Amino acid sequence: MKKFPAFIVSSTLLVILAACAEGGDDGEEALPEEPAASEETEDTEGTAEPEESEDSEGNEEEGSGDEVETGAVDTDTEATGDEETVLEFWIHQTGEEETEAYIERIDAFNEEHDDIYVDAEVIIDDGASAYSDSINAALVAGNLPDIMAVDGPYVAAFAESDVLQPIDDYIDDETIDGYVDSIIQQGTYQDELYSLGSMEASVLLYYNKDLLEEHGIEPAHSLDEAWTWKELHENAQELTTEDYYGLNLFMNEGVGEWLTFMGAPFIWSNGGELISEDGTEVEGYLNAEESLEAFEYIQTLFEDGVVSESPPETQFQEGEAAMALGGPWVGGMADDAGLNWGIMPYPYADEKYSPSGSMAYGVTSNSEHPEEAAELMKWMTNKESTIRVAEATGMPPAQEAAFEELDRFDDLPWSIMEEQVVETAKARPSTPAYPVLTDAFAETFHAAALGEDYESVANQQIQRVERELRRFQD
Amino acid sequence: MDSLKKQEEAEVYPKEPKPGRKPKQQRKKGLSAKRREALTGYFFLSPAIILLGIFLLYPMGAAFYYSFTDFYILTPDDRSFIGLDNFMFVFQDPEFIQAFWNTVYFTVIVVPVQLSVALGLALLINRKLKFRVFFRTAFFSPVVMSLVVVSILWTFMYNPSEGLINEMLAMIGIPEQPFLTSPDQAMNSIIAMSVWQGAGFQMMIFLAGLQNIPNHLYEAADIDGASPWQKFVHVTLPGLRNVSLFIFITITIAAFKLLVQPMIMTQGGPLGTTKSLVYHIYEAGFAYRDVGYASAMAVVFTVIVLVITIVQRILVKEERG
Repeated sequence: MKKFPAFIVSSTLLVILAACAEGGDDGEEALPEEPAASEETEDTEGTAEPEESEDSEGNEEEGSGDEVETGAVDTDTEATGDEETVLEFWIHQTGEEETEAYIERIDAFNEEHDDIYVDAEVIIDDGASAYSDSINAALVAGNLPDIMAVDGPYVAAFAESDVLQPIDDYIDDETIDGYVDSIIQQGTYQDELYSLGSMEASVLLYYNKDLLEEHGIEPAHSLDEAWTWKELHENAQELTTEDYYGLNLFMNEGVGEWLTFMGAPFIWSNGGELISEDGTEVEGYLNAEESLEAFEYIQTLFEDGVVSESPPETQFQEGEAAMALGGPWVGGMADDAGLNWGIMPYPYADEKYSPSGSMAYGVTSNSEHPEEAAELMKWMTNKESTIRVAEATGMPPAQEAAFEELDRFDDLPWSIMEEQVVETAKARPSTPAYPVLTDAFAETFHAAALGEDYESVANQQIQRVERELRRFQD
Repeated sequence: MDSLKKQEEAEVYPKEPKPGRKPKQQRKKGLSAKRREALTGYFFLSPAIILLGIFLLYPMGAAFYYSFTDFYILTPDDRSFIGLDNFMFVFQDPEFIQAFWNTVYFTVIVVPVQLSVALGLALLINRKLKFRVFFRTAFFSPVVMSLVVVSILWTFMYNPSEGLINEMLAMIGIPEQPFLTSPDQAMNSIIAMSVWQGAGFQMMIFLAGLQNIPNHLYEAADIDGASPWQKFVHVTLPGLRNVSLFIFITITIAAFKLLVQPMIMTQGGPLGTTKSLVYHIYEAGFAYRDVGYASAMAVVFTVIVLVITIVQRILVKEERG
């Protein structure tokens, strides 16, 4: 009997372990008759083979686990068991309302298509690495879904590595024309189309109406009136007082994607590029005269004390900055704070460009049903879907025609966003080395902001990008 | 162990051996019992061995193997053996070199500071103060908190315009400090926060060490007319030697593994001044998907830590002898 306590301890441990292993499963096992198809994302060592076509075509047991449980959200439609094709679909979750919009559209798709059933799984996207970690794990284990959400600028790396497959065969030109140009740019790698998105994004020059009035500064009311760099600099200087900064660049977001997303148009507008058009050369681009001039301009803004290098998150809505270059979400936050605000277009040097790009969808190479997956992708990004998602998120739609049905884009301030998305939006560079390139740009931008020697930082960063690019040369 | 063994034997041989049994048989039975005992031992060990194998030994072996390949996450099936290429690049990688010196700097400052803060706190608390339990809990509580939570809290406190620390500084007329955004201050800010977070744990160990020093030594010192300082140098410190060495080694290794604070508070910036070795490895593997190179750096990192540990063990032995 002396061993009894130890036995209890060890058996409890085993039970707990077993419970953990089971606990991981039940969320995703939408259709239990598919053994290899739905595995947990964290299970990197799990069954490695992709979905077998026999599984999805043949076995149709009635009433077996029809309920779809996708992360925290349920879908309403249930599989009838008659569908010929089951598509596994990963969507990302940043906000509840957004996910609800996706689920609604997936339900509608399932109702519309008798022969296809979409088995959706919601994966949390914390803005850092949670979502890409899930993709990485599934990649190594070889159990990616048929279609998944991918971040726009990362499409090239997935395309180059044959993780995604081109969808040109399943889409006609007329459909392509419906999208705003930047979405097609973002989804294209080496002249082939890989992804489509339902959302666009932009960065706008928000301004505090009261403060501008106080200083007698007239804001721009349309894209044609957009401020030049010089105007931005002068007005921001005029607006900088002891109580508030002239401009906020949301440097509190850290040295990451935000700096590239927000800052790249400074380079483009001055005639520069981050990388060559085919995405293979960075020397002579990131450190070209045009780019260095742009970094110099950024540096001046900070040196003149117009922008804070570490602003509090709420600087603009609290009235501690007169203007801010921020995403579409800033408007809502300023409303909540009761601020009297407006929107101006992104400032320019020579040519007008504005940031663009958001999450999009891609069909994976191991999908047995690329045609159906492409069908789903088109559905998720069609006019109805883009309108629904735009309403849920406040982001601009990816379909040009959708703007007409969304009233808020008719007048100022949001009409500026429509103009930018339709006319000046430029996708971030399409290169497989994007993860390193974006960090290289952000580091250089940050060096400029800190008053450091951005040119030597740029040169050092270029070596990193070149090393990464070598991986793709063969 | 011994007593357990005897008890088990007592169970196997109930009461008294049957009369007329050959001694040979007895020995045979004894052997099988031993074997059974060994089997039982392994059975109880098995959860630990299996878990260690899956979560420690296998990943270590895999990392060692990957470090000689060009394993890239996006093309997991297309990986080839590239010999020492990854290792060659480790020592040319300016980021690795910067991260190495950042980590060394962090360790060299944190270890003595944290050690002395922990000792100081332990000495304070070891006196018969009024609110002793309260102070002990207060000093220990940061250890209980998740490092992630602590990092986020300190990020708020360090905020230049709204942070608590800058507001306190403003009260005594010191201008706003860019704690986490200035290349000169960021690492030191992380060090201060790390010492605050970690010292409570070592304080507890020191406290146990202090209470182990026999009181008659202090009484003898009192009779000899020793001053408090002399008592500290000649009684307390020698009494804490072994405890201090243990703490010294554990802090050093923990400091070398710095990851969470820069990841949450600065993302390695500004200008890479807070990028630690482990954070650089993490980024290479997960953000840039270069598992081969990240594994090579992990192997180099392990060797570095191993060398430090061996050097410290040699020092420990010398001081004991």
